[in-house]
Amino acid sequence: MAVRRRTLRAIVANGAVAALTAVTLVPLVWMVTVSFMPRGSSSQVPVPFWPDRWSIENYYELLVRRQFEGAWFDYRILPALLNSIGVAAIATLLGLLLTVPAGYAFAKLRFRGRERLLKLLIAALVVPGQVAMLPLFLMFKELGLVNSYAGVILPGLAGVFAVLFVRQAVLAIPDEMLDAARIDGAGEGRIFVSIVLPLIAPITVTLALFIFLGSWNDFLWPLIILSDQERYTLPVAVAAIMREHAADGELMMAASVVTTLPVLLIFLPLQRFYIGGLLGGSVKG
Amino acid sequence: MSRQERAAWLFAGPVLAAIAAMLVLPVALALLLGLTDYSIYALADLKNLRFVGLANFTELLATPLFWRALGNTALFAALGVPMAIGASLAAALLLHDATVRWKPLWRVALFAPYVTSVVATAIVWRFVLNTRFGLLNSALGAAGIGPVDWLGDPRASIPAILLFVTWKIFGYNMIVFTAALSAVPGELMEAARLDGASRWGRFRHVTLPAIGPTLLLAAVMSVAGFLQLFAEPYVMTMGGPAQSTVTVLYFMFDEGFRWWNLGQASATALILFVLILGVTAVQARIGRRYQWL
Amino acid sequence: MCDLPPCPDGPFRQPALIALDRRTMLGGAAALTLTACARARESGALRFWATGYEGDYSPHLMVPFTAATGIEVETQSVPSTAAHEKFLTAFAGGVLPDVFMLPSGWVGEFAMIGAVAPVPSPALVADTLPAARAIAQVGGRDYAVPWAIAPQVQFYRRDLLGAAGYDAPPTDWAGWLRMGSALKGRRPGEFVFLALLNWPDTLFSMLYQAGATLLRDRDTRGNFRTDEAREAFAFYKSLFDEGLAPKVLSTEVQDPYAAFAQGRFAVWPSWPTLLLDLHRRAAELPRERWGVARLAGPNGPGPATMVANSLCVASTCERPAEAWALVRHLSSAASELRFQSLIGNLPARASAWDAPQMADPVLAPFAEQMRQPAIAPPVVEWERIQNEVQLVAERMVRGGLSIDEALAAIDTRIDRILAKRRALVEAGRIA
Repeated sequence: MAVRRRTLRAIVANGAVAALTAVTLVPLVWMVTVSFMPRGSSSQVPVPFWPDRWSIENYYELLVRRQFEGAWFDYRILPALLNSIGVAAIATLLGLLLTVPAGYAFAKLRFRGRERLLKLLIAALVVPGQVAMLPLFLMFKELGLVNSYAGVILPGLAGVFAVLFVRQAVLAIPDEMLDAARIDGAGEGRIFVSIVLPLIAPITVTLALFIFLGSWNDFLWPLIILSDQERYTLPVAVAAIMREHAADGELMMAASVVTTLPVLLIFLPLQRFYIGGLLGGSVKG
Repeated sequence: MSRQERAAWLFAGPVLAAIAAMLVLPVALALLLGLTDYSIYALADLKNLRFVGLANFTELLATPLFWRALGNTALFAALGVPMAIGASLAAALLLHDATVRWKPLWRVALFAPYVTSVVATAIVWRFVLNTRFGLLNSALGAAGIGPVDWLGDPRASIPAILLFVTWKIFGYNMIVFTAALSAVPGELMEAARLDGASRWGRFRHVTLPAIGPTLLLAAVMSVAGFLQLFAEPYVMTMGGPAQSTVTVLYFMFDEGFRWWNLGQASATALILFVLILGVTAVQARIGRRYQWL
Repeated sequence: MCDLPPCPDGPFRQPALIALDRRTMLGGAAALTLTACARARESGALRFWATGYEGDYSPHLMVPFTAATGIEVETQSVPSTAAHEKFLTAFAGGVLPDVFMLPSGWVGEFAMIGAVAPVPSPALVADTLPAARAIAQVGGRDYAVPWAIAPQVQFYRRDLLGAAGYDAPPTDWAGWLRMGSALKGRRPGEFVFLALLNWPDTLFSMLYQAGATLLRDRDTRGNFRTDEAREAFAFYKSLFDEGLAPKVLSTEVQDPYAAFAQGRFAVWPSWPTLLLDLHRRAAELPRERWGVARLAGPNGPGPATMVANSLCVASTCERPAEAWALVRHLSSAASELRFQSLIGNLPARASAWDAPQMADPVLAPFAEQMRQPAIAPPVVEWERIQNEVQLVAERMVRGGLSIDEALAAIDTRIDRILAKRRALVEAGRIA
């Protein structure tokens, strides 16, 4: 009896999880299937979920630069894709370079004002970035950074959260390990590189993913600071197309696929770092 | 300065400089800007710029659309936080059940929407929510529920956007709650079961207190997140219909970067800042009272 | 399939003129910029921004220009609903393109902030239609060269109107409404008119037709509590109250062309660019099933909203000679006629109207309407005022406000928007 109840419960629970997952994934799957439908064929009743005929015309139109009567037509999605990759990669690299050593310093190195600075950092955590945007624009104008990649990347380097995140991870390293190295005469730089970094490597990957995805999906600031379409990042480029081509549902779905796919491709193989980082090592499989 | 101290400044200095230059300084400037009437006329000629004291704030408080934006944002937060946290908790509890198999797989699938770009998925949802050709209405229609004008009816537009937002973010807190749930002491659970506590009783008296701090933290961060809603209405409704989805941040963007009333926009941003600060403080206080934090 | 780039071989095409374009017009442009050419190659392409179809299709006009002058042009198509903030933000950031297109109402605003350079030579605008030229002037000085003109007219379904006994839409409001009721009576499930609740053009056409003066006190206060504005608002509201127009926003109508083709509405107040859309989608809606007429007015057609897209050169442009050469090329009669055949919008150049392609009967209502343009008040806040008026009108249509409450709310909002202007006018800093 107990076994039967357990089986029944397993069926119900697994079924519920599967159903929830299916509902969650439906919009993403529909995005992909509609993107392969011929133009105009998704606007029908009943609403089609599967293409009658698979077509790549939307991707062709979106991605391939075409010549028509001597003039070039181009949605500039491929440059935007490259821009997004470049911007996110540089933002991640610089972000790690700046915040990982700082997080370590706040956790393990004694310096004057550390506690007060730490309190300020925690307070700064609740400052919404949007407050800074208007003056930042004026500042960047003076510096000639409007409409530049540097202008997109720089504000993201003020990584308050990242510093605190790294600090939290480094706190778990026993002081004795570091002190032993110091007694052996290792310099602080050496200790950081050869002892601390290997220990916090997984959390660094997690942080890198956070920064990369954050930069990839950032919208408001690039929308403001970038004016040349040649420099647009993907979300800005796609939002611009959306404003003019809202009628072309299949084309917009293809644009959404192009924007979404790269992050999913990066996320899926690395997901255990991301989800693991959130789980904090408390859950196994 | 000791060697360690020198190293510490070398390590922490660059990011502190970045924070000072790109967060602290602009916020201070925003305060100043909020006291001026920086507008399109000042853009033309800086001689048209004046210090106006708190006039921007008093004028904002007399602007109906600002209150509307505030009301909309409050509605987004009031409905959205329970919705999103509830969905996360429900999913986490479901996944926590001992009989569920392939947990990592489900976790990744449910988490996937969180890593996607808001702009891309907002576009997808605009089509999902379409009155005639949308998936949602066609599913509801199959269940006999008449078509809802999701993004066109001022009463449905906020719930519609919240459906999207919940779908997009619930995976994050689901993972956070999963971690918290797995930290609930098993012995305590077993003891409650032996005492004959019902399933609800066990949840109420064992699970909830154990995951309370996590819930609170998630709520704080969700409220702050909902107060900063922008891309969703920008892509899905442009603030409409009847300005029912204009949020505080959307209002700020419009005032600032559409009409270049930087004075007003800065004042708006600062009010938003104070609001977020206030919400955080209130929730931290509640947390202390229940000794969660 | 007709994907972008679309294939507009059809009734609006004049290949002979394109050849003329290459030979004559560009010869002049080339001569003008001969000296600047070498430098152009060093410093890269000229940057050009335009909105809507003008942006999408102007690469066609650039090919002969580049061929004749060697100057590359990098065209950027800016979404029209985001154009105002895009242009202003680019100006504020000091990154405006060399040449850009402004819709008529914005020229005064961009001239005031010093974003656009005055037109250096009267020859550039000598041949422009007077109504279009007036729109691009500020204080009697030319700041832009009118380019592609779009007066608002109505497109109607000939077959649907015919079935209800109408050869063409009536020209007065009362008749228009009666026709609406007749069509609605025959097909109660569908609508008759399309007036998107977040697009102000149709409402403003009605205001102009009713003869409303929209601002007062030297354009420093709203003036909507007038009989004329009340009449226009009452008429606008009645379209929705009687179920003749759907209460929808542009974000909701996924594909208005398909809806027009499927007969979900029969009358569409719109622009010449719709000619292009209808041509591209002729498979869904054959040519004989639609027609064009001037918008109805209270007692017959009157002035209606007219968008005159004009070409400007940024005041910060470092290569003004080349930039003006590009303007000269784009605003040549040949370019404007080619554009007309591509996207529908009408030439601003008077001499272009003598061309045979302009004799197409479908263009006659546009031509007539262009002779009676409505001129918006010349205040820099106008774009925003239009937005606010439409937002209040939307609330009125949805039942949140009565007509009088709406008009009063509009005056209050306009007074607030114009507060700064009022202060500057009173201080004598601006006229």
